[in-house]
Amino acid sequence: MPLDDAFQALKTYDWGTDRAPVTPITEAVAAAQSNAEARQDLESRLLAALSSDISRDAKDFVCRMLTIVGSTAAISALAALLPDEQLSHMARYALERITGPEASQALRDALPKLAGKLKLGAIGSLGVRRDSASVSALANLLKDADPAVARAAAQALGLIGTPAAAHALLQAQPAAPLQAAVTDATLACAEAILAANDPATALKIYQTLAADTQPRLVRLAATRGQLACAARTA
Amino acid sequence: MSTIQQSTRRDFLKTASAAALVPYFYTASARASADRPPPSDRIVMGGIGIGNMGRGDQGAFLGRKDVQYVAVCDVREEFRNHAKAQVDGRYNNKDCQAYNDFRELLARPDIDAVHIATPDHWHAIMVIEACRAGKDVYCQKPETLTLREGPLMVAAARRYGRVVSGGSQRVLEDYRKQVDPVWAGELGKLKSINVSVGPLPQLCNLPAEDMTEKIDWDLWLGPAPWAPYNSKRCSGSFSINGASWRSFIDYSGGGMTDWGAHHFGGATFIADVREQQPVEVKFHQDNGQTYLSYHYPNGFVLYHNRPNTPNLALEGSSEEVAPKPVPGYQGEGGIYGDFIHCVKTREKPFRDIELAVNTAAVAHLGNIAYTLQRSLKWDSAKQEFVGDADANRLTDRARREPWAI
Repeated sequence: MPLDDAFQALKTYDWGTDRAPVTPITEAVAAAQSNAEARQDLESRLLAALSSDISRDAKDFVCRMLTIVGSTAAISALAALLPDEQLSHMARYALERITGPEASQALRDALPKLAGKLKLGAIGSLGVRRDSASVSALANLLKDADPAVARAAAQALGLIGTPAAAHALLQAQPAAPLQAAVTDATLACAEAILAANDPATALKIYQTLAADTQPRLVRLAATRGQLACAARTA
Repeated sequence: MSTIQQSTRRDFLKTASAAALVPYFYTASARASADRPPPSDRIVMGGIGIGNMGRGDQGAFLGRKDVQYVAVCDVREEFRNHAKAQVDGRYNNKDCQAYNDFRELLARPDIDAVHIATPDHWHAIMVIEACRAGKDVYCQKPETLTLREGPLMVAAARRYGRVVSGGSQRVLEDYRKQVDPVWAGELGKLKSINVSVGPLPQLCNLPAEDMTEKIDWDLWLGPAPWAPYNSKRCSGSFSINGASWRSFIDYSGGGMTDWGAHHFGGATFIADVREQQPVEVKFHQDNGQTYLSYHYPNGFVLYHNRPNTPNLALEGSSEEVAPKPVPGYQGEGGIYGDFIHCVKTREKPFRDIELAVNTAAVAHLGNIAYTLQRSLKWDSAKQEFVGDADANRLTDRARREPWAI
């Protein structure tokens, strides 16, 4: 069986080895959409490989495959790698693309256990997933002692883009170095809210950001936003 | 990562007194002369990613009398030093500042505009950060690495009213012979064009090598997955077959995006569908040969690698269409002049970022269809595939911490 051979080859796969022997795994993953049984089997094999003693490059490869066929069954194994300096990113590489609230929950649950860059990664992934259930957790991180964490939380809230996310950003009282990130995220929220056909809420946000105390670049952005709101309600 | 936001130098120039400004940037090279505009009328520029294409872009901007070039940035010391020497030689001084980290360059309030020619995996982050910092941007093609990046770049440009131009000069300059008769209505309503370009990007598992150059490897990788240094992995050569970053999926969409930016860009310009994205990508297999057809809302079909069909072969019809004027560059000096003109006038450039993103999207959609070996329906308004969860997983990829967009 080529697929059996490919998983066998994964045991010695590393930077510098031939990629061809593991190619059947790539092909099987691409073809797995219409075959639930094959998909589940592939996922099981990939998770077994992930927990085995294979190279970092081989685990990277496994995570790339789980980006497509990973399901809720893969979440706990991937979440366990989030604190791993070497594998955290590739765990998110798969986790970020797995649909459903469980993957977001795993990323959210990991936040208190992570620090430094790895925490920034998890925050960023929650933003990419536009996980509205994370607004409260991210709002708390706006006050984090690490400015990079607070900045990442602001950016994630901007990507989530809901009225609740905008409210959290408007309530924040960021230190001067964070002000630009919070303002940018708030503008992003207003754009998302306007796109969701709520010009009244978006307009209130833009009016707040049009104050004379804001930098000129922001005031111009807020003015453009107000005009867009007016055009929508005209 | 840091977010930089400030008023632009030109905003500042308009509101501050000239006397207060002079000491800030007034140098011998910056004085007005008979053949150069005064400093207040020049665009102050910096460049990020100055190897290969960036070197050419730098030369084009540096040669302009209405540009004052003040800063270069590259994670390779050799490129950085060479680029600084070029600028200093041009102005006969030592004023050009060289940076390893692009965030330091973007933080300078005196810089109006930047050109970016890094590998593709950096484009979205840098363009968005530049817009937040109030800079106008000329970004080399392909402008995006993933489908999700495009709308975020457009949003940042529009949010801050920035002029952001994509980088393919070929779209207008190479395909004019096809554009003119089609836009004049001589071929009737255009039914299809074929584009032959490739290949797809590949995974890179090149072995670790001793580092023989001074390069900030962590910053070169940036948002891409960690991998050991290898000179081919980070080579900026034009190879799309394994000897440069253009070949590898973590940094590029392969030949599909690299040359696709030109050919798909030219084809969609010829067909006047630059402002749209396809609604469907059909995957075909014909005698063992695979190819694609992209279907646009107006019925136009863009083929990729259609068997027995030359690159950019046009298929017209007897249906009459009214002639229309062909858009082109403004200002003088090709695509670079077009960008500078628009920086001054605040008009949209010929390769406005939204149009460039649409071109890159064609290539990304194709890469995903080939990867999954099936036809895909695309909702461009929602930026998602219709009824294909697996395909939607491929619209983006997690960025290595601390980078995010």
